[in-house]
Amino acid sequence: MGRTGEAGTLGYMLTATADTVEQTSVSAVHAPVVLTDVTKRYGRRRRGVPALDRVSLSFGAGSFTAVLGVSGSGKSTLLQCAAGLERPSAGTVRLCGTDLAGLSQRRQAVLRRQRVGFVFQDLNLLPELTVEENIALPLRLDHRRAGRADIELAAARVGLGGGQLRRRPAELSGGQQQRVAIARALITRPEVIFADEPTGALDPHTAVGVLRLLRGAADGTTVVIVTHDPQVTRFCDRAVFLHDGRVDRVLPDPEPALVARVLHELGERS
Amino acid sequence: MRGWMLAGVRRGPGPLIGTVVASAAAAALTVAALSVAIADTSAPAGRLAAASVVVAGDTSLHLTVRHGDDARQSLPLPAYRGVPAGLAGQLARVPGVAAAAGESGFPGGVIRPGDVDLVAVTAKPGVSPDVLAGRIRAALHGGRDYTIATGPARGDVADLTAAVERSEGQVLGAALIPPIVMISLFVLAATTGLAVSLRRRRFALLRTVGATRGQVRRAILAELAVCGMAGGALGWLPGVVLGGLGVHALAAHQMLPADSAAWRSPWLLLAACGVSVIVAVLSGQIAARRAGRTSPAQALRETVAEGRWPSPVRILLGLGAAGGAGTLMAFTFGQKTAAGQLALALPLLLACMVAVALLGPVLVAFAAWLARPARAVGGPSARLALAAISAQPRRTASAVIPVAMAVALVGSVYFADASIAHAAAAQAGSTVTADRVIAGPGLDAGALQRVRALPGVRAAAGVAPLSVAATDPDLEPVYGETVSDGPLSRVLDLGVTSGRLDTLRPGQIAVSALEAAPGAMGVHVGSRLTVYLPDGTPYRATVSALYTRSLASGDVLIPASAVAGHTGAAPGFTQVLVSGGTPGGLAALAAGHPGWHVASRSVANAAAERAAAQDGFANNLILGLVAALAAVALVNTLAVATVERRRALRLLGRVGASRGQVAAAFGWHALFVTVTGLVAGAAAGAVTLVAVTKAATGSWVPFIPLAPAAGLVLGVGALVAGAVMIPFYAMSRREPALAAG
Repeated sequence: MGRTGEAGTLGYMLTATADTVEQTSVSAVHAPVVLTDVTKRYGRRRRGVPALDRVSLSFGAGSFTAVLGVSGSGKSTLLQCAAGLERPSAGTVRLCGTDLAGLSQRRQAVLRRQRVGFVFQDLNLLPELTVEENIALPLRLDHRRAGRADIELAAARVGLGGGQLRRRPAELSGGQQQRVAIARALITRPEVIFADEPTGALDPHTAVGVLRLLRGAADGTTVVIVTHDPQVTRFCDRAVFLHDGRVDRVLPDPEPALVARVLHELGERS
Repeated sequence: MRGWMLAGVRRGPGPLIGTVVASAAAAALTVAALSVAIADTSAPAGRLAAASVVVAGDTSLHLTVRHGDDARQSLPLPAYRGVPAGLAGQLARVPGVAAAAGESGFPGGVIRPGDVDLVAVTAKPGVSPDVLAGRIRAALHGGRDYTIATGPARGDVADLTAAVERSEGQVLGAALIPPIVMISLFVLAATTGLAVSLRRRRFALLRTVGATRGQVRRAILAELAVCGMAGGALGWLPGVVLGGLGVHALAAHQMLPADSAAWRSPWLLLAACGVSVIVAVLSGQIAARRAGRTSPAQALRETVAEGRWPSPVRILLGLGAAGGAGTLMAFTFGQKTAAGQLALALPLLLACMVAVALLGPVLVAFAAWLARPARAVGGPSARLALAAISAQPRRTASAVIPVAMAVALVGSVYFADASIAHAAAAQAGSTVTADRVIAGPGLDAGALQRVRALPGVRAAAGVAPLSVAATDPDLEPVYGETVSDGPLSRVLDLGVTSGRLDTLRPGQIAVSALEAAPGAMGVHVGSRLTVYLPDGTPYRATVSALYTRSLASGDVLIPASAVAGHTGAAPGFTQVLVSGGTPGGLAALAAGHPGWHVASRSVANAAAERAAAQDGFANNLILGLVAALAAVALVNTLAVATVERRRALRLLGRVGASRGQVAAAFGWHALFVTVTGLVAGAAAGAVTLVAVTKAATGSWVPFIPLAPAAGLVLGVGALVAGAVMIPFYAMSRREPALAAG
């Protein structure tokens, strides 16, 4: 797979100010996703409770992190701000070494398709495209050729056989659809994968299979999973708990049972 | 072509069907208008078929008008100018001529002694008609004052009315194209806007996967271009058929030569596709930009899939359009001349429609607020429907807007026409004050003398229709009447506002107030005015009177003795108006002349009213096209909007609503859309209707006959109900939860 498309972005980053370049070289190695004092308010609720309140977090290279919290804790907002889908009201987000505030919408889109992968709870796939075309979509958007071998390899890594490549998403089960979404997220060999409740619509057994796949396939890629399911943390190096838009606590090497207790506690508090 | 861009068209075309249908309608109407505008209207050469070259006095009038860009203007003449009979001898001496003969007796021919209508020239064997025409032109010193015709052009010289009719019919065809394209833009913009907003989440997903705004925009525009292409191809054949029917109908109404054939060419297919692609892409610009601009996170959030309120820019633009409409309205009513008011009517209608379209969501929210009392009457279903409307005024607005557009367009065009026809009929009914009217062939000056000599006849005048060419300020045909010399005021009451119309002598002309206005001819009593008689002869006259009742009698009155010999027909009248006299005396006179009819004033007036009422063919044609497009738009948008509510339908079924309850909720929704659309459309159309009525008839009150008004309301109601309820029943049959209830 050619990565010529990245030269443009890298070139852009290197021609930025000397200050930026220095920080880039440091943070790109250690943490592809860095949030500093990020605050997000929606609409006109300037005086209301912000969805995110001065959150500072860093996700190291190759780390596998779960972001947990009850409904309304700000976990989806965190993911969207970190991924550049939403512009924070205050604070800075550095994604793959670049300050998102300094990027135009276009450059952010290019950054996403070259270095970031997404997996959502549902609506992951375009219904009118075949599995194969859905997987190749980020490459096509990037004007790159999607080699048959690359697509088959990506599909094989998530356990999809060649027979399923020509099907449409509607013909697949929920678990298979999520596998296609993961294959699509992996096709560009991204530095970061953001997953928003990737197992939310799956039964526990299928969910574990999908997570195991993600963990295995994403070797070396930074993965941020937003979830409220304690079982997800079985595969994670770290669990970050959000409450009322703030980081409540961080657990390294979390145990699902402990995570469930913390979540229950947070639920009682709100 | 990149596969991902157009996959939606190939594999999930559902939401795009509306766009295809709307662009097919636009393409069909454009093709029809084009094939009328470029119809093959060459008249058969008839008895001139044997002639190689035909020479006549110039069959067009050329004039330099002192205004505008194309200062030199031409108009086909309905009568021959005539050439001296000696021309045949002169042409016979041109080398290559076998024979040249003066010919007369064509319709519209001259009756002056010594003149012939035209000269038919036959070529010697081996001499081509075009070469011969060149030699004749040289022999006539360039032939500036002649029409020298060969081949198919001979037909136009053989039948002068063909050229006149053609110019009327083709002007109409050409005039239809811009409004069709414009209305199509409105129609398609509404449909595409909805089709795009239906798939916002799809475009949002594309953005998260890394598509740039431009890529999303281009993907939407590519889809629309394909839809436009398909629509153009689908609309082509119906358009060709419609064009053929249109040419036929126009020929039947003497607005095209009898043997005209619609333009049929493969180019029409290209034109159809071209127009519908351009219109589809143009109309999708706004929707595509909006879809590209929506932040992916915002679009992915399920519950707030679409903002409740329109963007401030839209509201500002809408208020701007409303302000513009208000200013235009004040300006229109401030116009001194009717011509000025009429010219502003279309921009005024458009401004009102744009304002309603842009402020649609605000109007819907307001209407929903007004409709709250219905909750008490309509039970849970009405409550559901109103809640859905208030929650998403923008969605509902996209259904209300095409209803309002249809009502505004159809209503203002139809009722303006009805008001004018009504006023014309009323005027026709009161213009003639004579006691009796004689109509029939051969009513000439001698007949008029005999009528006047009958015992008891106080006054009698002959009238005949006449068309002259005048600059008002462009060179155009002006329709009026020739009247006999002698007192007019006892038989006609034309509502003279200045000057006198007791008698009209040669060298005088009476002009309607409408034509005399500054924006048109710009004359007043005492002005010198030149009009051109049917054979092109200038008639220089002094304006002796201005009158207001011009809807029935036309815009100019010219004494019969001044036009005799210049109309292409024997001098005479179509009607003789008689004041006084006895029924017996007139009947006895008529008995001696086969074909003459004597009618009382009321019978004659009733006939005139009927004639005035039938005069709206061109308007009805335009109206039919407008109504067809508006109906397509309405059904299209509503059906798409209803299908879009499938989720709501399913959910209601799951929470235990019975099929009847959900049907009632959809019914209430349809009722709301109908009533809001009717009110908004009536308001937008009424402004223009009043302006047009005031300009054309002088009255502020438009004439709105009950039956067509009720028909419009019922028709709109039926279309809305059908477009909402048919998709509803189709969907609900596939919802088991509902079927059980």
